[in-house]
Amino acid sequence: MNYPIWEVPMLGGGMLIGIIAILHVFVSHFAIGGGLYLVLTEIQARKTNDPDMLDFARKHSTFFILVVLVFGAVSGVGIWWTIALVNPTAVSTLIHVFVWVWAIEWVFFLVELIAAIIYYYGWERMDPATHIKVGWIYVVSAWLSLFMINGILTFMLTPGRWIETQSVADGFFNPTMIPSAILRTAVCVALAGLYALITGTLIRNDEARARIVRWSAKWVMGGIAVLPLAGFWYVAQLPPMAREISMGGAPVVTLFAAGSILFSALVVGGAFIGPYLFPKHVHVTYAFGLAIMGLMATGVTEWVREAVRKPYIIYDYMYSNTLRVKDLGEYSMSGLLTNAKWERPTEADTKSQVRVGRRVFRAQCMACHTVNGFNGMRFAVKGWGREFLDHQILYLNELKGFMPPFIGTDEERAALVEYLLTLNDTEQESDVAAAPAEQKGGL
Amino acid sequence: MPVMPAPDPTGLPAPVVILKFLSVFTLTLHLLAMNLLVGGVTMMALAGRKRQTDPLADRVFRRLARALPVTMSMTITLGVAPLLFVQVIYGQAFYTASVLIAWPWLAIVPLVMLGYYGLYICQFRPSWLGNRETIVAWLSMLAILAVGFVFTNTWTLMLAPSIWKYLYDAGISGLKLNMADGTLLPRYLHFIVGAFSVGGLAVMLLGRTLKSADEQVSDALQTAGRRWFLAAGGVQLIIGFWFLFALPDRVRNAFIGGNMLDSGVLAAGIVLAIVAMAVVRRMPGLAALLTGISVFLMVGTRHRVRQISLFPDLQVNNLQVNPQWALLVVFVAVLLVGLATVAWMVAAFVRAKPKMAG
Repeated sequence: MNYPIWEVPMLGGGMLIGIIAILHVFVSHFAIGGGLYLVLTEIQARKTNDPDMLDFARKHSTFFILVVLVFGAVSGVGIWWTIALVNPTAVSTLIHVFVWVWAIEWVFFLVELIAAIIYYYGWERMDPATHIKVGWIYVVSAWLSLFMINGILTFMLTPGRWIETQSVADGFFNPTMIPSAILRTAVCVALAGLYALITGTLIRNDEARARIVRWSAKWVMGGIAVLPLAGFWYVAQLPPMAREISMGGAPVVTLFAAGSILFSALVVGGAFIGPYLFPKHVHVTYAFGLAIMGLMATGVTEWVREAVRKPYIIYDYMYSNTLRVKDLGEYSMSGLLTNAKWERPTEADTKSQVRVGRRVFRAQCMACHTVNGFNGMRFAVKGWGREFLDHQILYLNELKGFMPPFIGTDEERAALVEYLLTLNDTEQESDVAAAPAEQKGGL
Repeated sequence: MPVMPAPDPTGLPAPVVILKFLSVFTLTLHLLAMNLLVGGVTMMALAGRKRQTDPLADRVFRRLARALPVTMSMTITLGVAPLLFVQVIYGQAFYTASVLIAWPWLAIVPLVMLGYYGLYICQFRPSWLGNRETIVAWLSMLAILAVGFVFTNTWTLMLAPSIWKYLYDAGISGLKLNMADGTLLPRYLHFIVGAFSVGGLAVMLLGRTLKSADEQVSDALQTAGRRWFLAAGGVQLIIGFWFLFALPDRVRNAFIGGNMLDSGVLAAGIVLAIVAMAVVRRMPGLAALLTGISVFLMVGTRHRVRQISLFPDLQVNNLQVNPQWALLVVFVAVLLVGLATVAWMVAAFVRAKPKMAG
């Protein structure tokens, strides 16, 4: 509302963030676990004087930098780009509260990146001891980078005492910060194994392949073994409503939460039956299949984590539609559109309730809802009459716990109802995108 | 009155002067890396055209191909910090401008990825590539130049609050670019031609380090690099004046005597660049140092252009400050440890070289 909105057709902004974020998480966690995997594999290979294993580690590191340095790093920037476009108000708050945390994270990221480059180009050049030291520097700085971001990410769901104290330390060391860090570290280890299975199954020498495939399967199983316990701890720290949403309160979210467990179980079962028991016979397509299961597990888990935060983007502080909880009273009195800089009705608008309603929709709903696509309102209000719609909006947060309350005057609510009613009527042109042309005609 | 979003109620996490310094300093580092990248990839793409017939051009192409992925990596990483600080200080203008041209702005992400993978393809030369390295190099170069163009669009739009609401009312699909702005083209060329020049200097210095490894390539890189540095540097002076005179009067006046400090900084930046060009043949190290300082002064000037352009709609010196001193100290400490770690790793890497040669 403070910033202009951007309409993402069909997908909606939230879904766009989701797609980029899931791919990034799947690669960035590998970036951390994969570094540890490389270092430990190198140490193991040198200790046991295993040239095949050493050769594999070297080749795997090429795959590693191509995935991590390019896709991992750039998609991370991509998330930042996307969230700042979809929800600039929330990003601005996170940046202002945590700028030094972010700056510290940047230093770790810089060290991590340079360590990765030197480790990669240093295989032939550096002596083994120094090479391994550089590898460890990579692992430590990469993990610290995760640790810092994890603090900010968990803050959004459980800001804890920050709400009262506004202290950065309270926000960073929030209730889910440590269990989430453990969960993510375990996922890093499991993903390191999953990715290594892809390159490991391509080794030609049977004996060497068997050794490396089984070694990688242990990483997958070991990482996932930690998840249930850390997961319980994490869930126990969630706000009651978030826990409720994930455990039956909202069927779709519960279904996805179950999916998270199912896909993780499939990965661990698949890793045991194939790569662990029969390491010689695992084909690369099987490894890819497991990786896809891993991606699904990552996807649904991240989706649930985002979903349980509803109706907030920063819990108890800012709603998903970027309205701050503290502004609620004032905006209800003075009106939403008076405070919505970009959506103040023009003279032409004021003559049409529908056009005022469209402004309300843009300012208050479009952060999450599209008209015709994902979370589309045309579908949501299908068959709804005026009174029913008004009742739904008036008691929005009470009828649907994952929705914020409607904020605005009675007139604004009535206007929103009129606008939403037009979505029921196929004869009327009501697409938000059509607004400008109509507006120009009116002026 | 232009629409200007309200500042974040959290306030600035440090006095604005500290944030401004960090912004200018880290942007200087990013731009130096960007210059190496843009200059390097352009020279590589051009060398690629003669690769089939000229074996020396082929070797130059390969040597540059080896250096560029790392340069790209550093450009991206060093770009993160100034982007963080600009959001802290100028978020109100930055978020607004980027949302208004959302799709082109978002396109930076896939373009960077495309350009980056292209550079790795040129370095690793996979067998399926055959003879098509030059095409890939050109694609990388075009992707990188396009990224710069979108950046210039966003930064110029950021300085023009008076047109924001007009753009917003014309549609919220985020498909626009800020093409009508008179400063767009000179500003873009100023950055790109400057990058050719500084990139040329870097290629020349790279050539000097290869003296014992491959004398022919070393000579070729030094000659070409110096020529680029001088020729693009000369053109840059002309474009610089074009850019200066394309700025709105109110902004330009500060740099031509209206404000002595602003005018002095800009003049010093220009003089240092000219001196660097004059001494490059005899004292290349000094030329590099002077160029670095000149870039720093120019980034400072760029910052002042922004501040003056946004006055009075956005006055960052008046923003509320809620300093987080303890965390700032932690940041500085982590930065020092981080830089020491990087220095140790780079030293270990460089030191390892003679062992291989032996």
